[in-house]
Amino acid sequence: MATVSSRNPVLYRRRVTRGAKHLMLIGFGLVMLYPLLWMISSSLKPEELIFREPGLIPSEITLDNYLEGWNALAHPFSYYLWNSALITVLSVVGNLAACSLAAYSFARLNFPLKKLWFALMLGTIMLPLHVVIVPQYIMFSQLDMINTIWPLILPKFLAHDSFFIFLMVQFIRTLPRELDEAAAIDGAGYWRTFFRVILPLCTPALTTTAIFTFIWTWNDFFSQLLYLNNPDNFTVPVALRSFLDSSGESSWGPMFAMSIIALGPIFGFFLAGQKYLIRGMATTGLK
Amino acid sequence: MVDSLSLKPEAAAPAPAPAVKRGRGRPQPSLRSRREAWAAHLFLVPWFIGLFLITIGPIVASFYLSFTDYSLLEEAKWVGLDNYVKLFTEDPRFWTSLKVTAIYVVVSVPLQLAFALALALLLDRGLRGLSFYRSIYYLPSLLGGSVAIAILWRKIFGANGLINAILGVFGIEGTSYVNDPDTALSTLILLHVWTFGAPMVIFLAGLRQIPSSYYEAASIDGAGTVQQFKAITLPLLTPIIFFNLVLEIIKSFQSFTQSFIVSNGTGGPTDSTLFYTLYLYTKGFKDYEMGYASALAWVLVVIIAGLTGINFLASKYWVFYGDSK
Amino acid sequence: MRSLKTVAALAVAALTLTACGSGGGDGEAADGKVKLRFSYWGADSRQKLTEQAIALFEKKNPDIDVVGEFSDWASYYESLATKVAANDAPDVMTLEIRGLSEYAGRGALADLSGKVNTADLDQGVLPSGQVEGKQYALPTGVNVFAMLANKATIEKAGEKMPDDATWTWDDYIELSSKISKGGGGSVYGTEYTFNPAYLTIFAAQRGEQFYNNGKIGITPETLKAWWANFDKLIKTKGSPDAAKMAEVAAAGQEQSLIATNTGGFGMWWTNQLGAMTKSSGQELTLLRLPKLPDAQKSGLFLQPAMHWTISSKTEHPAEAQKFVDFLLNDPEAGAILLSDRGLPINSKVLAAIKDKLPPADQQTLTFIDSIKGDLDQVVVPPKGGGKMEDIIRRYSEAVTSGQQSPDEAATQLLADANAAIAG
Repeated sequence: MATVSSRNPVLYRRRVTRGAKHLMLIGFGLVMLYPLLWMISSSLKPEELIFREPGLIPSEITLDNYLEGWNALAHPFSYYLWNSALITVLSVVGNLAACSLAAYSFARLNFPLKKLWFALMLGTIMLPLHVVIVPQYIMFSQLDMINTIWPLILPKFLAHDSFFIFLMVQFIRTLPRELDEAAAIDGAGYWRTFFRVILPLCTPALTTTAIFTFIWTWNDFFSQLLYLNNPDNFTVPVALRSFLDSSGESSWGPMFAMSIIALGPIFGFFLAGQKYLIRGMATTGLK
Repeated sequence: MVDSLSLKPEAAAPAPAPAVKRGRGRPQPSLRSRREAWAAHLFLVPWFIGLFLITIGPIVASFYLSFTDYSLLEEAKWVGLDNYVKLFTEDPRFWTSLKVTAIYVVVSVPLQLAFALALALLLDRGLRGLSFYRSIYYLPSLLGGSVAIAILWRKIFGANGLINAILGVFGIEGTSYVNDPDTALSTLILLHVWTFGAPMVIFLAGLRQIPSSYYEAASIDGAGTVQQFKAITLPLLTPIIFFNLVLEIIKSFQSFTQSFIVSNGTGGPTDSTLFYTLYLYTKGFKDYEMGYASALAWVLVVIIAGLTGINFLASKYWVFYGDSK
Repeated sequence: MRSLKTVAALAVAALTLTACGSGGGDGEAADGKVKLRFSYWGADSRQKLTEQAIALFEKKNPDIDVVGEFSDWASYYESLATKVAANDAPDVMTLEIRGLSEYAGRGALADLSGKVNTADLDQGVLPSGQVEGKQYALPTGVNVFAMLANKATIEKAGEKMPDDATWTWDDYIELSSKISKGGGGSVYGTEYTFNPAYLTIFAAQRGEQFYNNGKIGITPETLKAWWANFDKLIKTKGSPDAAKMAEVAAAGQEQSLIATNTGGFGMWWTNQLGAMTKSSGQELTLLRLPKLPDAQKSGLFLQPAMHWTISSKTEHPAEAQKFVDFLLNDPEAGAILLSDRGLPINSKVLAAIKDKLPPADQQTLTFIDSIKGDLDQVVVPPKGGGKMEDIIRRYSEAVTSGQQSPDEAATQLLADANAAIAG
């Protein structure tokens, strides 16, 4: 094949462009990943060398930072990974369910005051977190929910993340109306139209929502710190910060090492999730 | 702004069933539209509960607090418009932070979106190993808010960082870009562009919504790649571009973490990276002036709402919806 | 629209009502134990020590259950203030001298006078926890702001260690510049800092107090003289330039010049000596800060590292006092905590643990003893004092990077600083 294609000028040119594309993507990727590579390299250096030795290639490789970091805190690090996983998975489920319901309603159905509600929904995205945090904390503390996971997951099940509603509204609006009408002619009600027609076609949007919810919840630091005071409830981002003390001594090595471990699940989730981005219209046989 | 929501139920809905006149001749909603409204509200039940339970209360509370002197440690004291007056007339740092944020938004949002779109197109189809590349290119965004970023950014833009090492090869001696008041903001803009993963993924998902049959048909008609992009991809992607634009503007105006982490929460050097929300945070939690911080927040909301409104108005002219025919 | 307004009004009412209402009410655990909440900041090593101390306290007081709430320093005050605002304040809180007036002056703290045994504590340090004559806070331990010197670096550059009993600021600057030269480009003579402690000491040497009768007691001339020190250092290359220095300062202690063996001098708190020595791997020496030629005193002072305080709203004042008493006065607690929160100020505890202290702390103890006769009294910054660090740094950065003239910056700094403490 290779010989044939190298004689065929069109195929040959295509192969060269493809090779150039790969080279470009790899080269550019390396530049972009430099900080990450530096972090990986630092996590493998003995702690004293991290800042004394600036280069990318460690002169001495050790797994000490990983061993030390895993056991440095009150619980082994797996404990915090588990805490984070629980909150994250529940958040994903909550966001997918609640936001898609709301989005369908906003994108496809008519009802009184729709514009007002929609504006309110967008409005909630605009308010900076730091000013609502105090009233929100007061409220959750009155509901006796401090030190439970409720303040973190309840908002997800109540479609508090307007970002995702807006995202899905925009996606549903790109779908042709004829689909709904066809379903209606087949006698499908709103619920079935939503479940059987809209939802399957929204796979890319749902995937995006799932990926983002997963990543953002996994990395979310402040609300987890605020609502989970007890070190037994700590999650990964909170645990990671306890390696650092800007007024005193920080354990940079273990922090880098555990940061890399903490990247694992979100990277894995992304890797798995992004495959579903490829589904959607292209494969549902829509003509 | 409400008018500009482009939801236009009138236009979008299929021809409404003729209204049945009854009694005193007031038009009654048809059975169908009543059923539809009923269903719509059912779908929105979780959102409504959330709105009233955990959103409206805090929002109204913060609005109220913006008219008070509130230290967090004592009861709030009503001061009327004092906070707003002080903010506009005697607070130079308010203007500084507004300027810094505006520059940040204006420069970094278009850059980041262009970057994200270009990569999404490149990573959409036609190459082997795409899922791998996608994941690699998403990695920076996974790290985006990590505490490690402060260190990593200095490894690139610091006095002994990567940039200066490269410049050193050409005999140029650079400074510490993160800490030079003239360049500090630029490094944060680059940090924002660097974490282009979220809009890229949204673009990728948007590209997937475009039926491949469109491209097949275009190919048969003999349209080239560029033509296909102009005639199919770009128009059909406009709702997604619009979404990313609206959201990125809102998010960038609220940018906090980047400056907080890289400048150690100071917004320095000499306020050159004092983001609006960082200033707000400093006022609220470090200076114990939560009332003033709430006023700052509401000014920000008005600015963002204004910009979003303009965005929605302008969208009529360039955003194309599949459902609006 | 009308219904929306009603709902809004109700929401506000509900929030304010409930906020003024109960204080949690969950102070009693199910098993009948009294539950005490105790907040502090720090990193993993401090958390471990603290948890050990808590376990010991619970063993000695089986009816009390102490729950440590800890966070990193950067978010500590934010989350603490949120809890206080929600009427959900921890019973025992760790505060820093800078935030003390905010909390004490606003009624968030209980007066500890006569509630906790202070007989064995260093009486000279107690005023650092007093606001308007009341003992709202008790120091956890003390530090001194001192000069760290790396002998090896200095001698490698062909210079000698200075005599810290007599050296002046100009000596320091000259020596630094010589070290930079002698070091052949790989080291700097010194790093510098905008730490308010430095300014406080410098001003004291000129006979000025930072806070004086509710105003800033520092003159513009002092500020300009202080900034001139930085300017000379930068110009003579005794220190890195402003941008590079800002980078080092922002990076934290592990990446400081002293910790990375790329500088001869650096000003730090004494409790950082241990960590710095560990990072550098070389011997570091504590020196007194230089003096002005005509200075009457050194201006040095014992700074409380942190304070123990008790919430004024606590439902268990007796148990909270017992816990603070334990932390301060129990030699066994001292043996666990050592100098993690500064050197203990309880003479009995100190005597009991002296031999257990690591070498760096022994060195600090000797250093503190050597300056004992020449110490100033610490003043608790007034409300708004927490903003000082930020204000000083901001204008100092502007001056050192050449963005503002010292004259203009001095005037504006004083105006800002006075406005900050005026309320």
